[in-house]
Amino acid sequence: MTAPDPGLHIILREQMNDLLLKQKEVTVLEILDRVLDKGVVISGDIVISVAEVDLIYLGLRVFLSSVETMERVRGAAL
Amino acid sequence: MPGLTKSETPEDGLYCINHEGLSVAVTKVGESEFGEMNLKRNLTDPEWIKSKVLIHENVIERIMQSSAVLPFKFPTLFKTEENLKSFLEEHRDKFIKNLRYLKGKEEWGVKIYCDWDKLKRTLAKDGFRDIDQEISASASGRAFLLKKKKDELVNEAVYKKLGELSQACFERLSKHSFQWRINKLLPKELTEKKEEMILNSVFLIVKSKVKQFIHTVHELRTEHTPGGLLFDCTGPWPPYNFA
Repeated sequence: MTAPDPGLHIILREQMNDLLLKQKEVTVLEILDRVLDKGVVISGDIVISVAEVDLIYLGLRVFLSSVETMERVRGAAL
Repeated sequence: MPGLTKSETPEDGLYCINHEGLSVAVTKVGESEFGEMNLKRNLTDPEWIKSKVLIHENVIERIMQSSAVLPFKFPTLFKTEENLKSFLEEHRDKFIKNLRYLKGKEEWGVKIYCDWDKLKRTLAKDGFRDIDQEISASASGRAFLLKKKKDELVNEAVYKKLGELSQACFERLSKHSFQWRINKLLPKELTEKKEEMILNSVFLIVKSKVKQFIHTVHELRTEHTPGGLLFDCTGPWPPYNFA
């Protein structure tokens, strides 16, 4: 029996991380969609509604991917 | 909100206001984040929204463990406890009726996606023999036009098939549910999937029927995955779509 190729192992782990990140992202969209868009709407004291859930989500994704890039750059520098 | 005591929630300043037979989970927030102007600014910051919305969701999910709950939209703000109390008095009957309705039920979401190319290939392979024969028997100019014609026919068939499939899946799912709703389809830029969303549905399900519902999702997945459909099932959610 040969030991598993460490390179392959790293690739698999990276793929898994990507997968986890993806699943989490979908969940964030689902949560935003519900919490900001559905649910009981009332006339509270301050009524401000969040304009466009879609736009917020897109903005958030751009933000997250730039954080990821930053981390990757930092990782490369080490 | 029985079951959620003050001692369980010391870390986030969450507490209960009991009034008119209703319990409301509240937390005090400051002018610096939630004052009208500051809030407006914060609501343009996706990362701020995300962090607050996750807390909002987390609190509701905790309450959901032990009681029926009416999830409020974020942000819902009152200036004083007194204002909140008079609000509860005003809407008491509606809230109690709604809570009774939601008791013992869960919200589940099912999104169906379609691998357009896969479905198209499957459909193009079969039902178009006549036109295929005509294409192979024709000279190149005519064959070109016939191919275009075939493409149109296949696209039409795909649309028709998608309508039938999503309808059939939805009917099977709704059999086990108490109430349902169809939400707008989300574009690929938001879902980040290469497949097209063809159904975005939510179901309110009596707890004892959840198992059957999930079983049905698995059945549908087994039946339709080879044909190019993908199923995304999430839950249990607080009843945002049914509150």
